Amino acid sequence: MRNRLDQVLATINQVVLGKQGQVRLALACLLARGHLLIEDLPGMGKTTLSQALARVLGLSYQRIQFTSDLLPGDILGTSVFDRDSGQFIFHPGPIFAELVLADEINRATPKSQSALLEAMEEGQVTIEGATRPLPDPFFVIATQNPASQGGTFALPESQLDRFLMRLSLGYPARAAEKSLLLGEARRDLLPRMQPLLDHAELASMQAAVATVRVSDALVDYVLRLVEATRSQPQFGLGLSPRGSLALLGAARAWAFLEGRDYVIPEDVQAVLPSVAGHRLRDQADPGSHGGGALVQWLLREVPAL
Amino acid sequence: MTPTPGIPRAALSWLLVAQALVIVPHLGHLPIWIVLLWLGCALWRIQIFRMRAAYPNALVKIVLMLIAGFAVYQSRGRLIGLDAGVVLLVAAFILKLVEMRSRRDALVLIFLGFFVVVTAYLFETGPGIALFSLLPVAVLLAAMIGLQSEGQAAKPWPTLRLAGGIMLQALPLMLLLFVFFPRMGPLWSLPTPSDRGKTGLSESMSPNDIAELSRSDELVFRATFAGTPPPRAELYWRAMTLEHFDGRRWSQAATPASRVDWQKRGEPLRYSVLMQPSEQAWLFALDVAESDEAGVYRMSDYRLQRERPIDRPLLYDVISWPEAVRDSSLSPWQLRRALQLPSQGEARSRLWAQQLRKAYPEPEALVNEVLANFNREPFVYTLRPPVLGENAIDTFLFDTRRGFCAHYAGAMVFVLRAAGIPARVVAGYQGGEPGPGARTVQVRQFDAHAWVEYWHPQRGWISVDPTFQVAPERIELGLEAAVAEEQSFLEDSPFSPLRYRQYGWLNQLRLALDELDHGWQNWVLNYQATQQQGLFERLLGKDFQWRLVLALLIGGGLFLGALALLLLKPWRDGLDPAQRLHAQFERILARQGLRRLPGEGARSFADRAARELPAQAAQIRAFSGLYQAQCYAGRSVAPSVLRHSLKRLRRALPWRLPGRGGK
Amino acid sequence: MILERLFQARWQRWLERRIPPASRVRLDNRRVFILPSRVGLAFGGALILMLLAAINYQNSLAYGLTFLLGSVFIVTILHTYRNLAGLGLQAAGGAPVFLGEQACLRVRLQSEAREHRSVALGWPPQPLQWFDVAAQGACDCELSLPTRRRGWLRPGRLRVESCFPLGLLRAWSWVDLELKVLVYPKPIPGDLPLSSGHSDEEEEGQAARGRGVDDFQGLRDFQPGDSRRRLHWKAFSKGQGLLVKDFAALTGRDLCLDFEALGGDVEQRLSLLCHWVLELSRGERPFALRLPDAQLPADIGDAHRDACLRRLALYGLVE
Repeated sequence: MRNRLDQVLATINQVVLGKQGQVRLALACLLARGHLLIEDLPGMGKTTLSQALARVLGLSYQRIQFTSDLLPGDILGTSVFDRDSGQFIFHPGPIFAELVLADEINRATPKSQSALLEAMEEGQVTIEGATRPLPDPFFVIATQNPASQGGTFALPESQLDRFLMRLSLGYPARAAEKSLLLGEARRDLLPRMQPLLDHAELASMQAAVATVRVSDALVDYVLRLVEATRSQPQFGLGLSPRGSLALLGAARAWAFLEGRDYVIPEDVQAVLPSVAGHRLRDQADPGSHGGGALVQWLLREVPAL
Repeated sequence: MTPTPGIPRAALSWLLVAQALVIVPHLGHLPIWIVLLWLGCALWRIQIFRMRAAYPNALVKIVLMLIAGFAVYQSRGRLIGLDAGVVLLVAAFILKLVEMRSRRDALVLIFLGFFVVVTAYLFETGPGIALFSLLPVAVLLAAMIGLQSEGQAAKPWPTLRLAGGIMLQALPLMLLLFVFFPRMGPLWSLPTPSDRGKTGLSESMSPNDIAELSRSDELVFRATFAGTPPPRAELYWRAMTLEHFDGRRWSQAATPASRVDWQKRGEPLRYSVLMQPSEQAWLFALDVAESDEAGVYRMSDYRLQRERPIDRPLLYDVISWPEAVRDSSLSPWQLRRALQLPSQGEARSRLWAQQLRKAYPEPEALVNEVLANFNREPFVYTLRPPVLGENAIDTFLFDTRRGFCAHYAGAMVFVLRAAGIPARVVAGYQGGEPGPGARTVQVRQFDAHAWVEYWHPQRGWISVDPTFQVAPERIELGLEAAVAEEQSFLEDSPFSPLRYRQYGWLNQLRLALDELDHGWQNWVLNYQATQQQGLFERLLGKDFQWRLVLALLIGGGLFLGALALLLLKPWRDGLDPAQRLHAQFERILARQGLRRLPGEGARSFADRAARELPAQAAQIRAFSGLYQAQCYAGRSVAPSVLRHSLKRLRRALPWRLPGRGGK
Repeated sequence: MILERLFQARWQRWLERRIPPASRVRLDNRRVFILPSRVGLAFGGALILMLLAAINYQNSLAYGLTFLLGSVFIVTILHTYRNLAGLGLQAAGGAPVFLGEQACLRVRLQSEAREHRSVALGWPPQPLQWFDVAAQGACDCELSLPTRRRGWLRPGRLRVESCFPLGLLRAWSWVDLELKVLVYPKPIPGDLPLSSGHSDEEEEGQAARGRGVDDFQGLRDFQPGDSRRRLHWKAFSKGQGLLVKDFAALTGRDLCLDFEALGGDVEQRLSLLCHWVLELSRGERPFALRLPDAQLPADIGDAHRDACLRRLALYGLVE
């Protein structure tokens, strides 16, 4: 199984250049059955990453471009009266795919945002009284522009909390960008990628992640981290119990990717910036969801042993 | 600094209880008004706590103090001296309760309480009071804990439990100190309590005094022999000699501690005597006694005497030479004193003496005739003799012929002196009950006895006992047998356990209690300089000083170490063995200049260390791998394996890499 | 005097090495000091008196009691140390205060295994405050401290001490939890010379704000010349006198609190600005703040208020 995962990673890295860490985290997020928020400027490769993931893992892929006039129905689907049968027939929206890219989610109105997020949380959608299950696996990659850009509706904390991880791709390194410029267009590569995993394998991996061993000593470390966010003065907002569960789940997936069947503190530390970053708030700067300095503080100061 | 002013409830309730417990042992010798004072003050204090009464103001305090002082003066006759001092201390202890406002006052009260407990030991020293006083001490400590507790919320019982626990933990250390703390003699003399009414021999004797003593079963002393004790009939314990007769009473003449002239002969007897306080200076011993105790002298009448009265139990070793010859010559003034008689009276006795002198020129024959006379004539041994008026000896010898040892000894000495033979009355105790273990003899007040010694120009002083002629069972079996018929044995004390010696188990119990008491006196009360020195020599050898210090340090250190382990439970410091070993691992690497950062996990640290120390990378990774397997992978690795791995790393590392410090 | 200061400096350096500053400290044998307290010395004196009595009366029981109490004293060393050892202290922050108020710093006491009773915390010469910590429990302590200057209040090393159980010994430690609390200037009411923000800055800010702006400022006494239309008739009918509804800055531009526009010394100006920051925030009115070293664009809301106050508190101070 390990080899297959390595292959998956290698393949994606051929397309998304110079972002091994982020790719690995994104895969970990998927294995932990969590959803991913990518916060970055346009054109940094968000779409490429999500498409590459979908292809390599053999997942059906849909992209929803969020705009301010997007309606919930555009996401979930609508019932349309069919004249032939004289009935309303449900046309499923783009959300009924295994991997959904919700592009620029903060451009949409809160109403549309919450339609997506509720679906993410519950794994099903209820439209006109009928409950329809979403496919399994179901993985949402949402992207948003940095909050400081104008004309956006920033996601509130409650919605942010539903994303297991928040990543930022950032500018590529010089070498990576050079090969990007010299090489084939990335989008052309995508259709040629072959699925490396089937659904059953993915499901068994996700199941295996859940059984990765978490020892007492490790839970103590996670607790120390969480307590620090709740008691230290510089934290405006501590981690919720959902946050600590997310941290542990992500650390499990990371350990699994590392080929271990148990979690060590380094796994927690590896996922901490992406899992906790968007959940923390600086006391001195309540408006931000930066969390970067706070996470660094946690990594540095909270005793790991 | 204290948490809040005012006295917490837990402390106050324990102070009230402590006062009662502290005062109880003093009840025997305190005037009754103290109890009333205590009840009144306790009630007042409770009312103050319930906000129903006010603290006394300065005037009331002064008046109370004056009243207490006056009352002490009334009941003790003075304000200084130990008795009055103790009453004053107790009164102050009680009055302080009422005016106590702050925690500081409460502490003063608690310290006063400790002092009052100590003063109780001056009046009584039995094992009972020693055990009992643990109670007030525990409660006083509980009050101290209560003072430290925050606010009014502290519950009383847990504070007492904690106080008891602390005392229990302090006990071994206390025993260690008790045994090893060097004892010394008194630094200065202090008044002793005077109201300890003591029965016992006094410096003069009339027959009634001995009859008085025979009614008491109080223990006088206990002798423990090195070998088998001599038969009961040979146990004549000399206390003193009575040489002066004024017609009614025999009393002690001045006896300087002059050199005495005696020759050791025969086999010596070795024994030790544990004597109860008598408030007199003389000691008890068999003839002829030698003792090398400090401050003990042998007087010219062969008694042993100590410089100071015996005011607490005293243990001394004696060697006696029963067959020794005493005073083969007497100086004229000694002779004169041994022949002294009142100038007139007792005409019949004097006449009989003259007749005897003519009939028996040999002193020995004369003495035998006098003794035989006691045996021949119908003399009766009784503790209820008829009253003798004028010429008591005449009346006794020729009319009533009923009496006990004092009568016989007094009459015989009178007759011998009248016949020109130097003689004197010896007062002391005779016999004694064999104690458990067959090597001890317990002598009680009813064993008081008087006998006779006369002086023979060649053989010196010779002891004879006229009572033996009349009532040999008194000598051979004891007083109880001698007065069995008239049932006068301890007739005033119907509940004395000694009256019930015929009931086996009761007697066993009594003997066991006696044994306990003996052990207590011997090992606890008498544990002073001499005994301590003896013990040290036995335990640590002759030259024990430095060994003593060592023993004290090692003993105390071991005990405190054990207690610290028990209390602090360092193995429960939240670290399991693997974590402790990892801490050790970090210390080893810290010596190489590699310190783990707080947020650095085991693996990252090991990787960094392996990079820095490539030569030891294998060992570092091996240990860290084992540690991670134990802590995170749930594979249980025996601590010994971890330790072994750590040892290998330590061996692989130089002690301190040269020149690495700055890196 | 010099010696004392030298000693103080050395002591502080030594403490710095021995108990390095950290937001979380666990007291252990390296960090707890213990010596007899004044009560303990008095107790020792009493023991000596008892020992003298025991010697002079050659009284074994008095010896025994003296030794028992002496041993209790020694055993109490362990108990007192134990009462502090294993106690975890953690800085738990503190809310900013205004100068002159009592600053409130939070410290969290945590017990690992056993109970810790009567633990005192504080900064001498301020009186200490006392807390009990249950076994394996935690206790959030609020320590108050007077404020003397605006800016960061760093009280320095915190004294932790305990005399429990018997009060004979005092175990203590000095821990540096890096506690700090922000002290805002003392708000002093006063007149505000109205100054408008630059209009070109305004227009962009308006769009981003999600909240409506109410220009109604309040009521004030009627003065001759005021418009009749603005009379508050309801109040007049209740007999509260003639009041006028006051609408400030009807131009639509936001207020700007400008440091330079004020008179007085620095602290006075800051105090006045502080007062107006609070006042305008209470009235939910947008305002901008301009200090010589910083500018905050016009905004409303708690976050804006806090940011402004923070600027005022730290003005001219090196952080």
